Amino acid sequence: MSLSSLTKPWAATSYGFLDASAKRELRRKMLKAIAVPGCQMPYASREVPMARGWGTGGLQVTLTLVNPASTVKVIDQGADDGVNAASIRRFISRVSGASETWDTLGASIIQSRHRVPEETLREDQILVLQVPNPEPLRGVEPNMSIARQMHADADYGRLWLTLYEQLVRKGRIMQGAAYPSLVNGRHVMTPSPIPRWDVPKLNMAKHLTFLSAGREKRLHAVPPYTKVEPLVFSDRPYRVEDHQQLVCRRSGIAGYFMNEIPQDDGSSSFEVSDSNLGIKAIRRAEGETVDIGQTWYRGGEFSA
Amino acid sequence: MLTVSLPDAAEARCNKTFEALMWAMARPGQVRDMGEPGLAPVVEALIDRECVVHSDSATLAPFIANTGATPGTIEMADHLFHETLDIEALVSVRCGTALYPDDGATVVLQAAHGSGTRLRLSGPGVDGVCDITLAIPPAFWSLRAALCAYPEGFDLLLVDARAVIGIPRSTHVEVL
Repeated sequence: MSLSSLTKPWAATSYGFLDASAKRELRRKMLKAIAVPGCQMPYASREVPMARGWGTGGLQVTLTLVNPASTVKVIDQGADDGVNAASIRRFISRVSGASETWDTLGASIIQSRHRVPEETLREDQILVLQVPNPEPLRGVEPNMSIARQMHADADYGRLWLTLYEQLVRKGRIMQGAAYPSLVNGRHVMTPSPIPRWDVPKLNMAKHLTFLSAGREKRLHAVPPYTKVEPLVFSDRPYRVEDHQQLVCRRSGIAGYFMNEIPQDDGSSSFEVSDSNLGIKAIRRAEGETVDIGQTWYRGGEFSA
Repeated sequence: MLTVSLPDAAEARCNKTFEALMWAMARPGQVRDMGEPGLAPVVEALIDRECVVHSDSATLAPFIANTGATPGTIEMADHLFHETLDIEALVSVRCGTALYPDDGATVVLQAAHGSGTRLRLSGPGVDGVCDITLAIPPAFWSLRAALCAYPEGFDLLLVDARAVIGIPRSTHVEVL
């Protein structure tokens, strides 16, 4: 054994920014995360040229998966053109040579903050969600060692209690995003701060989902065809946001998750949150041939 | 302006191998192509000096040693690379705890696909049920059922030349 056999040839940068040992660690943890759906797996969370809390967890998963043949879509609250999304997408393509796209149908890896695209994802697609707080028990148990014990015991009574308190105080569930959901009948996860609208899209989905929290150094996964059940009381069915009747003021499409735009007169108008779906609808209305995929919600109703 | 550095041969190999392993785990029972034959590509993609590895393969041993991984017994190892199946030895494989399910081992086994015992898989990643045939005796599956008290358990990667099938601990295996 010589020194040269222990090293590899000099290179200016590592492919895909992360070094080989960081990627191997992430690979091992991603396999474990798939093997125990919804269970949070700790990982080292290396430095990336971005502040923690801005999608570093999702970025590390994407950089581990990416290769020059990948096509990457990055969205921030449904929009491809937000500063955070555009910067992450450009960074990924610069360090990996992967193609960039805004089109959900054309992407092989979709990194997202706070939304699942409206078009149904396929079996060959990977959704990478950036997660600020992966611990559903944080609000009821700040001590993370005790929270870990509660996960081990499947002791989720206090989460039910918070939902019950919301019902008693307000008459309805007030939890708007990151709705606690039981994965594979065993672990409760917080599905990133996606709205209630998006949680059913993870249940028995065709695609693979990774949820990665860089600041909290944990990742979990939802494999395809895995049960994701929001915690609900049997006499209070799960309700998504009342966006069924809302119409997008720019594209005219209805029945999708909308952003509310406050108006000067105190009223609101709405724009479709999945911005590229809106763009495609506008281009189709203008006579272009645009491929719009099957959507999870049809006529405002979930139908997968 | 940054220029994109292309992946070198090792990076491209590891990326392809991992993609096969990941989809194999995510879709239990489906066969994936690793691109290279044998257990060595799995070692290259996953193992480094942070791992404790047990292997029964004399040919693989120098390759594993080169990764810097600590050699260990079956009880200690977080990754096992076995060319032959020794069911009695696997009784002591690490299965993690409900507190730390990620301590459960990853067992990479050489096993012929398409002959031997018929199995029916169900669980996460399987759309309904999936029937496969593997050259692994039924005694192994009863051992696995005894050890894998979900979320405790070990995860299987079954390699036949370039093909790999994953059976994570979450999968229910029925011997037909």
